[in-house]
Amino acid sequence: MSAVETREKRILWIIAVPMALLALSAVYPVFFAINAALKTRKDYVLNRFGVTLDPTFANFPQAWIQSHLSEYFLNSVAVTAGAVLLLLVVSSLSGFALAVLRFRGSKLVFTIILISLMIPVQVVLVPFYRTMIALDLVNTRIGLILAYTAFFLPFSVYLMTAFYARLPRELYEAAQIDGASLLQIWWSIMLPLGKPALITLGILNTLYCWNDVLISLLVLQDKRTLMVGIAALRGQYTTNVPLLAAGIVLAAAPIVLIYVVFQRQIVSGIAVGAVKG
Amino acid sequence: MTASTTSPATRRSRLGNRPERLALLFVLPALALVVVFRVVPLVWGLGYSFTNYDGINPPSFIGIDNYLRLTQDPTFIDSLVNMLILIATLPIWIALPLVLAILIHQGVPGGKLFRAVYFFPAVLSSVIIGAIFNMILRYDGSLNAMLKAFGFSAIDWLGNSNTALFSLIAVQLWSTFGMGVLIFLAGLSTVPSDMLEAAKLDGAKLLQTWWYVVIPSLRPIIEFAAVVTTIGMLTSMFGLIYVLTAGGPGTATTLPEYLIWLEQGKLNSPGYASAISMVLFLLMGGLAAIQIRIMSRNANL
Repeated sequence: MSAVETREKRILWIIAVPMALLALSAVYPVFFAINAALKTRKDYVLNRFGVTLDPTFANFPQAWIQSHLSEYFLNSVAVTAGAVLLLLVVSSLSGFALAVLRFRGSKLVFTIILISLMIPVQVVLVPFYRTMIALDLVNTRIGLILAYTAFFLPFSVYLMTAFYARLPRELYEAAQIDGASLLQIWWSIMLPLGKPALITLGILNTLYCWNDVLISLLVLQDKRTLMVGIAALRGQYTTNVPLLAAGIVLAAAPIVLIYVVFQRQIVSGIAVGAVKG
Repeated sequence: MTASTTSPATRRSRLGNRPERLALLFVLPALALVVVFRVVPLVWGLGYSFTNYDGINPPSFIGIDNYLRLTQDPTFIDSLVNMLILIATLPIWIALPLVLAILIHQGVPGGKLFRAVYFFPAVLSSVIIGAIFNMILRYDGSLNAMLKAFGFSAIDWLGNSNTALFSLIAVQLWSTFGMGVLIFLAGLSTVPSDMLEAAKLDGAKLLQTWWYVVIPSLRPIIEFAAVVTTIGMLTSMFGLIYVLTAGGPGTATTLPEYLIWLEQGKLNSPGYASAISMVLFLLMGGLAAIQIRIMSRNANL
């Protein structure tokens, strides 16, 4: 090893120290929340940042049952599952049509869907809410599912279209010659082949739907999703920080779990979006 | 839609084509959702912005009065100033992840782990992040407890209008810089490796090569990141503001997107809220147009 290389190695090791500290800062808040959730109220007031020596688990059942998190949790699961499923079906169908079938006007449809990217929910807050009222969708889970699908759709359609555009057209033509219907081609060829893109989109959209608060606040008013529930809890329990922290840990757990399991897909999914963009 | 771009003759032959009609059926759900919930509301909102709609009585046309009122509204002006301060921090939002990505790409020990950990906060919802940082940053929070334990005096991070906006910006930056690292790493993986080999010389030349070789070759991806980050600044801060500061103290952390929410809900003035929406839409329009151009170019259509 040359002197230059050793020197460079040493520099990189030195640089790794602040980078590791930054990494610690990225996980610290979650550690903080878990630590706070394990304290009693008295414990927390006396010792706000130190590690608890006498952990209690009483805050978790209290947050789960007394603060209705279990109910909000089910709402979030139902809405997220419904929206993600719908997002995958709709974007795969339109990706197939836009990239493989390429009918007259497909470019225009693709452009309209992409242009809708620049219409975030804030920009159409009032008329979107009025639309929900007019369609009798306010306060319904199905309304929130449709809203999520509408607002998270453009990127999914974009990604599926780009993905299917790279498949060899012969696949489609051969199936057509064999007499398969379009629906059959979609179901038995396009859907299985699109699996890598669909998995990425499934995970990303799960994150978006689970984490949303604005659309959910607007559409569901009596029923609450988990994130709206946590936001309300935070207003309610300004003095009972451990209980709030327990709620936060429970609400974040599924997402942390998904991240740990699917870390590779999430990271590459974001990267694909970036490089394609 | 189709008809307007096609002559009658081709249209007939096209419509006779069965797969094509089915293809339209396949895009219909996507198109319908996007049109019903986004495109039509956009036009509708533009209409509202010229009315005195209060959410109860039928709206009546008042011309550009809402827009004139905006120019006099201190809350709205404050929100624009806050937004400009936020956008002024953009160089940090780009430079920090860029430097980290280059270092990881050049083989810092533990680089792969760092990449995964840096990204981690981005998967947490803004509500979770906001609630946690509220516990940490509030006056009787853990950061001040720590400062006092080390003999410093406490700072009202969220309650003082001088520090609240910067606290908000710092938390958002903290939660999203890992996304930037990913984006730049993806860009770096497309840079020819011999270019980077050249960067593996001694220290002084290392920085020079970054400046003259690595960063210029990343230019398209840096532009993309700058556009996407700015769009995020205009439209992705709601959850964090809602939970961390609720726009306060006063208007210190109110951004236009949060103001729209306040106006349409609490103050019950959807007509006025729509006018703010249109201003936000105009601000975004240029940025998003660039983004869409990049995206449609890359979809190979």
